[in-house]
Amino acid sequence: MTPLDSWDALWNLLEHNRNNCEWKLTVMAMTAVARETVFALRRQIAKIEGTLPERLAAPAAARLDADVNTDLTIVRRGIAAALPDAFLPIGVERLDAALNGGLPKAALSEIHGTETRDAGAVAGFALSLTSLILRQTPGLPVLWIGTSEIFREAGFPYARGLHAAFGIEPEQLLFSEAPRLVDALWVAEEAARMTALAAVILEIRGNPQRLDLTATRRLHARAQAAGRPVFLLRQAAEPEPTAALVRLIVGSAPAVPRDTIAGPLAGSIGRPAFTLTIGKSRTALPGQFTLEWNPDERAFDERAGDERRGGERDRAKNPVPVVSLSGSGKDPAPASGAVLAFPAVGSPISPAAGDQPSRPQRAAHLGPRRAG
Amino acid sequence: MISHRDRNAQRISALDERAEALHLKRDMGIADARAMHPSIDIVEADPEADRRLLEGLADWCDRYTPLVALDGADGLFLDVTGCSHLFGGERAMLNDILSRFFHQGFDVRAGLAATPGAAWAAARFCGDRIVEGGEEEALLAPLPLAALRIEPATRTSLESVGLRTAGAVMAAPRAPLARRFGALLLLRLDQALGRLDEAVSPRLPIAPLSVERHLAEPVTLTEDIERLVGMLAATLKTDLERRGEGARTLALLLFRVDGAVSRIAIGTSRPLREPMLIQKLFHERLAALEQDIDAGYGFDLVRLSVLASAAFDMQQADLTGETIDDGADIALFADRIRARLGEGAVLQPVTVESHLPERAVATIPFTEAPRRTTPPKKPDRLQAPKTIFPPERPIRLFRSPEPIDVPATEMPEGPPLNFRWRRALYRVTRAEGPERIAAEWWREAASDEAASTRDYFRIEDADGRRYWLYRQGLYGGASQVPPRWFMHGVFA
Repeated sequence: MTPLDSWDALWNLLEHNRNNCEWKLTVMAMTAVARETVFALRRQIAKIEGTLPERLAAPAAARLDADVNTDLTIVRRGIAAALPDAFLPIGVERLDAALNGGLPKAALSEIHGTETRDAGAVAGFALSLTSLILRQTPGLPVLWIGTSEIFREAGFPYARGLHAAFGIEPEQLLFSEAPRLVDALWVAEEAARMTALAAVILEIRGNPQRLDLTATRRLHARAQAAGRPVFLLRQAAEPEPTAALVRLIVGSAPAVPRDTIAGPLAGSIGRPAFTLTIGKSRTALPGQFTLEWNPDERAFDERAGDERRGGERDRAKNPVPVVSLSGSGKDPAPASGAVLAFPAVGSPISPAAGDQPSRPQRAAHLGPRRAG
Repeated sequence: MISHRDRNAQRISALDERAEALHLKRDMGIADARAMHPSIDIVEADPEADRRLLEGLADWCDRYTPLVALDGADGLFLDVTGCSHLFGGERAMLNDILSRFFHQGFDVRAGLAATPGAAWAAARFCGDRIVEGGEEEALLAPLPLAALRIEPATRTSLESVGLRTAGAVMAAPRAPLARRFGALLLLRLDQALGRLDEAVSPRLPIAPLSVERHLAEPVTLTEDIERLVGMLAATLKTDLERRGEGARTLALLLFRVDGAVSRIAIGTSRPLREPMLIQKLFHERLAALEQDIDAGYGFDLVRLSVLASAAFDMQQADLTGETIDDGADIALFADRIRARLGEGAVLQPVTVESHLPERAVATIPFTEAPRRTTPPKKPDRLQAPKTIFPPERPIRLFRSPEPIDVPATEMPEGPPLNFRWRRALYRVTRAEGPERIAAEWWREAASDEAASTRDYFRIEDADGRRYWLYRQGLYGGASQVPPRWFMHGVFA
C-alpha cells in the first residue's frame, strides 16, 4: 500500500465516523479550554514566584486543583512558608506542642547563651537541630559563620567531634571566619538565600550595635525566601528585639551517668543535656525544658525530675538497647521457628467474656484429662 | 640632585639640567660639589623606590604589549612583535609611548629595532630611532663600546688594545676576541646583529587570553567598571568556548590616565565562562577594594585577562534552561566570599590520620575536588563502629590549648578537683579519663614540652558544662618539671 493509499483509507474512515468524531471533538475542546485556564493560572503563579511555569511542582498544582472545593485559604509567604512541613519537629512532644509544631524551618531562629562558657551547649543544641534537618536534606552542606573573636573565645568547631556526636560528615561542613562583624553578616546574608545549603549557623558574641532589627530582618527575609533555616547563635548576649520568630535560651545541664548492663555507671558522664528556655515565640508561653541529645539515635529526649539518678525510669521511657545489636553483621539472625501471635487475655480474639473459657474450649481442655 | 654612597664616599649618582649647567658631573664627590656650589640640594638615592617606580612603569607599558621586561635599574624592554599595527604602525606607536611618558613627567629615550641589543643601543646612544631589520650593523658601527652591553672591565681592556668603537670590534677577527675577552662579548655582538636570538623574559606571566577596551572618555565609577567587565567577559566567552575551556584565574587591569595600573585578580573554584558570573565576582572584589582603588582622573584602558584556565565541562540543562547542580551554587558562593574577604574566608575541614586532636583535623581553603556530590548513605545503626568505644571528642577545640591552674588533684594521676580558667574557678563534679595520647615522636624534634604525653580528662563542672582538659607530663617523672594542665575543648 502506498502512503497515498493509506491516507485515502484514513480519510474514508473519518468520513464514515464523522458524527462520532464531531461529538468527541467538542468534549476535547471543552477540556482544552479548561486546561488552558489552568495553564494560564499556573503561569501567573510562576510569574509571582519568579520561576518558570515548568518548575512549579506538579503535586502543588494537583493540590490546588483538589482544594478548589474546600474553603482552604493558602497564604503564601515565600516558597516554603505554605508547605505543610514548614516546621521542624524537635521530637519532644511537650516542646513541640509549646512551639506549635516545632521550630519554623524557613526562618531565622535565635539560640542564646548567657555566658561565653555556655558556648559548648549553645553550639551543641544548634548542631543537634542541624542534625535533625540533615535527616530531611541529606548530603547538603552546612555553613558555620563566625567572627574571629568568637572562634578565639569559644573555640573552633571540631569536625571529628561533630561527626561523632551529630553525624555531620566533615565533607558537609563549611566554615567561614570573618574578621569583622560586618563581613560575617554579609556572608550570612549571601548564604541565607542559598538553597544549596542545608542550614546556616551564624555565631556572634555579645550585643553588637550592627546586629539590630534591620539586619536580622534581612536575614529572616532571605531565609524565608530560600526555605532554609538560619540559626543565629548569640553567645554571652542579652535578649534584644530582633526579627527572629523564636528565641531559645540554652544552657548546659548535668548529664546522667552512662547506662550499662549493671545499671548506671557512677561518676560517668553520659549523653549531652541542655536546659532550654523559650525566650520568645509567637505561640508559646515561656517555659523551661531539659533535653537530652541521643547521639546514637540522633534524637532528643525530654528529661523530667531528678537528672542525677537517671536509671530505671529513664530507661523505661527510652527503650534503647543497652547491649548493642549484632556487632558486625548487618542483620541479626532470625529466631528459629515461626512467630505466632498469642491471643492476649481479654482481647477480642477470645470470644468469651470474662475469664470463663467457652464451652468447646473447655471440652477440649477437659478431654485429655479424662482420658489420662 | 641625587647622591649615593659608593666605597665610603658620597657621590653624585644623578643630576638634573640645572646642576649640569653648574658643571657638576656624575660620580663627582658630594664634598667637591658642595665646595663648588654650597647651595645645591642633595637627596639620598633610594634604589628601592626607583625599582618600584620602574615596575609601575612596566605595568603601565602592559598596555602596549604583554611582554614587558625590566632592563637593569633604568630601562624597560617591550617586545612589540605583532602589536604595533594596533597603534597605527611602529612610528605612531613610538610617538604615542613617548608623548604619554612626557605628559606623565618622564624624560624617556626610546629605540625600536629588530633585536633587543640594537634597540638598547639605539635608545641609549641615538635617541628615538627606528632601526629597520638589516640596519643593525650600520647603527652599531660608529657607537662606543658601551653600546654593546658588555662588562666595564671588558670594555676598558678592549679600549686598551685600541678597539674603541663597536665597528672596530666587528671588524676584528673573532677567534682571538673570544679567546681574550670571553664568549660574552661575541654573544652580545651576535645578539645585537640578529645572528643569535635573544629572548626577553617578561616580568609577568603572559595571559593566554585577554580582551581590552580603550576608552575615549576615562571612567571613574565602580559601576561603569563593572559594566565594562561584563562586556569584556562576553567577548572572552566566545574565545573560551572556542578553546573548550573556562577561566580559573582572571585578572582585571585598570590603566589610569596618569600611568598608575591597578591589577585585580580573582580565582574561581570551578572553570567559569559565564559573563554574568564573572561580573558578579568582580563586583565583590571591587566592593572590597573600594578604598584601595584610587580612580583619580579615571581609567582609560580596561583589560580582562585569563591567567589560568581549565577544561570546561558542559552541563546538560533541562528543558526549562536551568541546570540542577547544587555544587555549582556552592562553588560560586565560595568564590564570591573569597573575592571579597580573601582566600581563607571559606574553610573546610579535612580529617587527617593522627592521634593528636589538633592535628587530626586540618582546615583548608574551600576546594571543589573532594566534595561529595551524591548524598551519603543513611546512617546505618547496625553498622559496626570502628572501635568498640569510640573516644569522645569535643565539639569545639581551642586553637591553642589554654593553660589552667590546678591546685589539687584527687590522686597524683587523677583528674583535678577544681581548676581556674580565665580567672574563674570551676569545681569538678565528675570526670572520665584519662585518655592518654602520646606525642608523635616520629615527627617532633625532641623538645621536652612537645614530647611529653598528654592525659585527657572529660570533666563536668557544677553547672553541667563539660570540658576537655589534659595534663601534660607526669608527676614524679624523669624530668623535674611539674606537669601542666590545659583546657583544650568544650563538649556539648
